[in-house]
Amino acid sequence: MAESVYLAPDVQLPYCRGCGHALVVRHLSRALERLGLPPRSVVLTTDIGCVGLADSLFPYLHTVHTTHGRSTAFATGMALAEVTLDEHRLKPIVMVGDGGAMIGLLHLVHAAQLNVDITVLVHNNFLFGMTGGQHSALTPLNWVTATTPEGNWTPPLDLLALLRTAHAGFLARQYATAADLDTTIADAIDFPGFSLVEVVELCTAYATRWNRLTGKTLDEAMQRQGYRIGEFETEQERPTFIDLYRHEHGSHSASEPEPQFEEVSTRAQLEKELHLVVAGTAGERVQSAANLLCRAALAVGLYSTQKNDNPVTQGTGFSLAEICLSPQPIEYTGMESPDVVVIASGDGWKELLANGTVARCHAGTLVLLDSEVEASPSVGRTVRLPLRRQANPKRAALAGLAAWMSMTSALPAAAWEAVLTALPAGRQADTAEAIQIGRRLAESGNGAVA
Amino acid sequence: MLAEGALASGCRFFAGYPITPASEIYEVMMRELPGRAGLGLSAPDEISSLCYCVGASLRGLKAMTATSGPGWALMIETVQYALMTETPVVIALVQRLGPSTGGATQGAQGDVWLAAFSTSGGYTIPVFSPSTAAECYELVQQAFDWSERLRTPALVLSDKEVGMTTEVVDDATLEKIAVHERPRSTRHPSRGAYAFDDPEEVPTFTEVGGDVKVTVTGSAHDQAGRLRKNSPEVLEVLQHLQRKIEAHAEEMALAKPDLDPDARCLLISYGVTARAARQAVGMLRREGYPISFLQIQTLFPVPLRALDWAVASAPFVFVAEENLTGQYRAVLAPHLSGKQVFGINKIGSLISPTEIVRAVQGVMS
Repeated sequence: MAESVYLAPDVQLPYCRGCGHALVVRHLSRALERLGLPPRSVVLTTDIGCVGLADSLFPYLHTVHTTHGRSTAFATGMALAEVTLDEHRLKPIVMVGDGGAMIGLLHLVHAAQLNVDITVLVHNNFLFGMTGGQHSALTPLNWVTATTPEGNWTPPLDLLALLRTAHAGFLARQYATAADLDTTIADAIDFPGFSLVEVVELCTAYATRWNRLTGKTLDEAMQRQGYRIGEFETEQERPTFIDLYRHEHGSHSASEPEPQFEEVSTRAQLEKELHLVVAGTAGERVQSAANLLCRAALAVGLYSTQKNDNPVTQGTGFSLAEICLSPQPIEYTGMESPDVVVIASGDGWKELLANGTVARCHAGTLVLLDSEVEASPSVGRTVRLPLRRQANPKRAALAGLAAWMSMTSALPAAAWEAVLTALPAGRQADTAEAIQIGRRLAESGNGAVA
Repeated sequence: MLAEGALASGCRFFAGYPITPASEIYEVMMRELPGRAGLGLSAPDEISSLCYCVGASLRGLKAMTATSGPGWALMIETVQYALMTETPVVIALVQRLGPSTGGATQGAQGDVWLAAFSTSGGYTIPVFSPSTAAECYELVQQAFDWSERLRTPALVLSDKEVGMTTEVVDDATLEKIAVHERPRSTRHPSRGAYAFDDPEEVPTFTEVGGDVKVTVTGSAHDQAGRLRKNSPEVLEVLQHLQRKIEAHAEEMALAKPDLDPDARCLLISYGVTARAARQAVGMLRREGYPISFLQIQTLFPVPLRALDWAVASAPFVFVAEENLTGQYRAVLAPHLSGKQVFGINKIGSLISPTEIVRAVQGVMS
């Protein structure tokens, strides 16, 4: 074999006699030479196992020796960075065994889905060679390994079949002993996207010691498993990650700038921290209403914090927000005792009971309660308002907060103006109406003081 | 703010996987990076997230991911790889209540040990702990700066209450740091990826894909990156990994002292609990009770000089943190000999200023 600039000229291969790994590195070197890739444009990303000894054999290539199974993921990261840098030189080639392919199966699947420009050479010798010949997920049925002394009884994974479902663009299976393995490897490297070659080998330290294996019986075993040998360009026309990213990126317009938010000249008359809780039903814009109040407070010179809570499912059950307003920067964002509680629905009331907020109310706490909620808070001062009926359920929380603002001198009404002008045009009218309803309810004395 | 701070640091690559309470960082980075010459990617799990970031960093990009305790558990393998290969990368670990999946929407400061002691060999990874949105912005820049300067993974240890609380930030007061780039001179191009003259020196970085051949390995290696066994040079490289951090420990150890020369007791806190602690200190002082306070911003390496200074005249030390076992108190304990040390601990909800005041008064009166 002619020596090349890729494989060290006087290389002593570190593999057992007859091991397929030696054939793969020689064929890889030939494939690189045939493609004429500059050595510095290739990074060999090697996995754990005998396969990971390949680094030192290629003194001119970049080499990254990784953790077990992760070689594909590190290579994917490098390929993605190449796209980010808008350079298209670096070609990651992954060398992984059958054990590493299984522990890193997710990385193979995702690389195939992304169609990143990497080539994976799976050295499939059907077992863990370096650690003593243990069974792997690709061990054929009935094979004896160190951990299946009576023969393997779990069906082997067909890696190529699986990756086909992940839309891998180029898949091939070839014997390490095939004279044209270098052609297959070169085709894979040349493929502009995710490509994988499963090289079928024999581990001469263990597989051939414990099983009657020859080239012929190996071929028979492959046939029994329904494994075909050859190149399978399943989705060659698929856009590569670069194409997809450019398409997406090219059409990516900077998000529309938010309308300018400006403070108003009127200042808040708040001397100390004020704590509010607004509670309602998920999906009824409770936390959005709280956010609008915080913005209103900001417009009149206050500091604020907002802490949201909801069940992990997000779209069902309660939704609540704890708000702290203060003339000074706020340190503690928790709430020892609320000053104002707005309850926009029964879900909100139940949660405030359950989480202890109701019990933490003080004598001066103002509770604004939707009229439809069946509840009788025994603490603080309760005012019932027909928030849901008049404003509708999705605007009840905001109407409740607007009603509170009308009842207090803490925040001037002008605060809402700044909020409204900073909203997208489509939301302004609806929001203004909810605020108006809240104000009207408060000012008309429509609330029933319980 | 953490995402904004990362972008201000020159972060151009983010790979993430959704997890409460870190998802907002992920979402902001996905939204913002394409317009800022960067790439944001949805990874299929946390292991992939960090591997992608490390791969991108090996190619030369500043990279970050964000997660919470359960995701961090999966990332530890790759954090060690980044440490061993001297690859800069930043991880935002937004804590939630553990163990296991724990309470996804509940805050906690229970991952201090898990963050700090995640490497075999006990190597120091810089860990920064913000207490406010503004500090998220500032400390993630510190994390990038030290990650790049020392070629090391670095952590921002936030928590649900800091990460998911909306608050007003005065952007005129936000601190912008001139984040360094990793040292790139090709002083030792022929000596490989990990060449140093002094074990405290940070090897110059050469990116994979450049004109100089790079050899990277997570296995024990010599200065050229070659796998070696029983070589004194390998042990020297391993010692270097810790010594390069220790050599800069005081520089990166940030703490905010608020000391009272008359105080006999010192309150120490970090992260979200530092907010309640600051308020508690104000309450105690208004009652005429002298107390000193030290907010630790760099949890690791421990800011020993600031600690020694703060604790000098205080025989009583309180450490307030939202975990059950006093994780940072235990870290500080060896440096507090001769002091009476008390923990103020709680899980499930924020420690309040009143609880801190009561705890201090309970001991001191």
